Amino acid sequence: MPPDPIPRRRTVLAGAAAAATVPLLSSCSASRADRPLSFWNFYSPAPQQDPNLVAQSDWFAQAIDAWNASREREISPVYMTGDQMNQRMPIAFASGDGPDIFLISPGDYLRYANGGVLEDLAPYMEQEAIDDFYPEALTTRRDGEAIYGLPMEQEPLALFYDPDLLEGAGVAEGDLPQDWEQLLDLSARLSSGTITGLVLDVDPGYYQNFTFYPWLWQTGGDVVDPSTQRPVFSGEGAQAALDLYGRAIASGATPRTRPANGDIVSAFSSGYAAFWQTGVWDVSNLRLNAPDKHFGVMPLPAPPGKETITALGGWAWCVNARGADPESAARFVVQVLGSMEPSSIEHVAAWNGPVKGNMPARASVDAALVASDAFADEHLATFHDDILPTGRGEPRFPPAVYKAVSDALQSVELAGGDPTEESDRAQQTIESYLETYQGGTLV
Amino acid sequence: MSAATTTRTQRSRREARAAALFLAPDAIGLTVFVAIPMLLSVVLGFFWIDGFGNVDFIGVDNYVRMAKDPQFWNSARVTLIYLVTLVPLIFVVGLGLALLVQQRFPAVGIIRSALFLPYVVSMVVVSMIWQFMLTDRTGVIATALSAIGIDGISFLGDPKLALGTVVAVTVWLQMGYYMIIFLAGLQDIPGELYEAARIDGASAWQRFRSITLPLLAPTSFFVLLTSMVAVVTGGLDMIFVLTSGGPANSTSLLIFYIYQQAFLFGDLGYAAAVGSVLVVFLLIVSAGMFLATRGGRFSHDD
Repeated sequence: MPPDPIPRRRTVLAGAAAAATVPLLSSCSASRADRPLSFWNFYSPAPQQDPNLVAQSDWFAQAIDAWNASREREISPVYMTGDQMNQRMPIAFASGDGPDIFLISPGDYLRYANGGVLEDLAPYMEQEAIDDFYPEALTTRRDGEAIYGLPMEQEPLALFYDPDLLEGAGVAEGDLPQDWEQLLDLSARLSSGTITGLVLDVDPGYYQNFTFYPWLWQTGGDVVDPSTQRPVFSGEGAQAALDLYGRAIASGATPRTRPANGDIVSAFSSGYAAFWQTGVWDVSNLRLNAPDKHFGVMPLPAPPGKETITALGGWAWCVNARGADPESAARFVVQVLGSMEPSSIEHVAAWNGPVKGNMPARASVDAALVASDAFADEHLATFHDDILPTGRGEPRFPPAVYKAVSDALQSVELAGGDPTEESDRAQQTIESYLETYQGGTLV
Repeated sequence: MSAATTTRTQRSRREARAAALFLAPDAIGLTVFVAIPMLLSVVLGFFWIDGFGNVDFIGVDNYVRMAKDPQFWNSARVTLIYLVTLVPLIFVVGLGLALLVQQRFPAVGIIRSALFLPYVVSMVVVSMIWQFMLTDRTGVIATALSAIGIDGISFLGDPKLALGTVVAVTVWLQMGYYMIIFLAGLQDIPGELYEAARIDGASAWQRFRSITLPLLAPTSFFVLLTSMVAVVTGGLDMIFVLTSGGPANSTSLLIFYIYQQAFLFGDLGYAAAVGSVLVVFLLIVSAGMFLATRGGRFSHDD
């Protein structure tokens, strides 16, 4: 069962508001019993001819075609960009016409889970398949025994670097920074003219918070203690992580806007950036779009004396519990991503391997990829062997918690805010919010 | 009743019917797509709505929350600064350009078109181009400034500069539109007035102050009113692309804050409440402007 939504008094006026909402938000739709189940995603059918995007689109199409060939209830993919999905999903759900199957990240998970619109997929899965998922990949999509989304991948963050640029500055690959202080010192030294030492994310949003969490966790700090569900953001760890961002900007190591509008391919190809914090997806991005560019990947340096930790992103497939046919939709999702059938394992291995080039969320898929030497590439090997084992799933926080952290981070990073004051302010905001919060756990 | 009176009455009815028919498409469109949604949005402001069909009447709680919400007040402050800098700038630049291109000189048509051109380009495209140009260190503007020894300015990454940068880009984008409106107003002013003033020995500034400005009053009123509404309710696309409301909420306009609450945080009731406050603010200011000008009528129209 989904977590209980916030208790609420149903009133006549509530009905009036709902009625008022309908003409605003509803759209005409075909009979729910007849129409194919919609699958909103940002992969298929691909609107572009880029071979990499076409391959990803084909991967979705193959899964859907295989299902449609043997079942009565057809699945129909609906393509839209991430931004379009952000804007259309609330409208679609508010009008009772949400997609039957859709993709969400941990950042959005609690809104949907607390809204009671996610179908529990556990009843459709074998226990062996459930156990096959890595806990760090599944924890943020679970509530007790229930599973409200199946991850298709794990995408760890790392530090990408440009060896040519470093070599030009007299830094050998053997002398890469080992901790925060070395990273800041070297990056500040490298920053000159059009060259940026270290690129950290600067735009406020869920993604910036996602890239901040590893630095926070490396200090031993956190936003909310998963065991007590109490905020711990005013601790020394959070202050140190915020201070790292503030010092990165103040020392000139990090620019206030990212080079090449945040496009690592252009920036590395033009020699604009020495270090860049980004995720595994940029390995294939650089390989495909700048095949001649030599680049390196290393784990995120930790504070002196601490261990490196990274955050694991990635998207999960969810089923709309109020959709036209949640049972068929759930069976489809489980058949594609969460079955122990060899065809399911092979298909997911293709996604994490040649098609997308990221890290698997399941042990059996990992074994298949290792057996096929899919991590032979030196950078994928670094991700698989050195970085993935240090990963923790991207946390799922409600918007109010996300915003409190984001405001503190933005203030210290870009407006000269004091780390202690800002972490205390965020702590108070989160404390106040959690006093009345009811819903899924914050992990 | 005389035959003449009957004819006048019939004609009057026919005219009224024709007027109603001509007005109907606009009236229906405005009612369905503006008036009703506006009223419903006010209603939604009294509810907690999570966007998943869960609705709860909470009275004025959204408004109480708004009063205590520092992010709302920050956005209100940013919006006010944006409004009081942008509207006068649009007015002055639009009028200035109109006065310049009012003259007949070679290639004036091309210059007018060039100045208007940014307005017809998608705001998203314009914003992306400016974002590229304003990138720290490598953008064309940073490179040009560096060539003359000015380094380290971050137009979009420094909270002290970001809003001003957005204002400047918006002026560049919209100045052509308001220039055309002013140009139309200027061309309505009879040339004899200027001729007479010249004969009387009036200087260019005196002619501008005593003829141009007063006779442009209806156009100025229109520009001020429409630009104010456009500034307060627009700009979302540009903020979304250029700054995402940052750095440190320095460009988080109310319209962006409403978008965040509704579409990113799923708090539709609160977003509707903030939207209602914005509408009330606009209604009050617009009503004030109409009152001050006796319904937009100016002395030389009477």
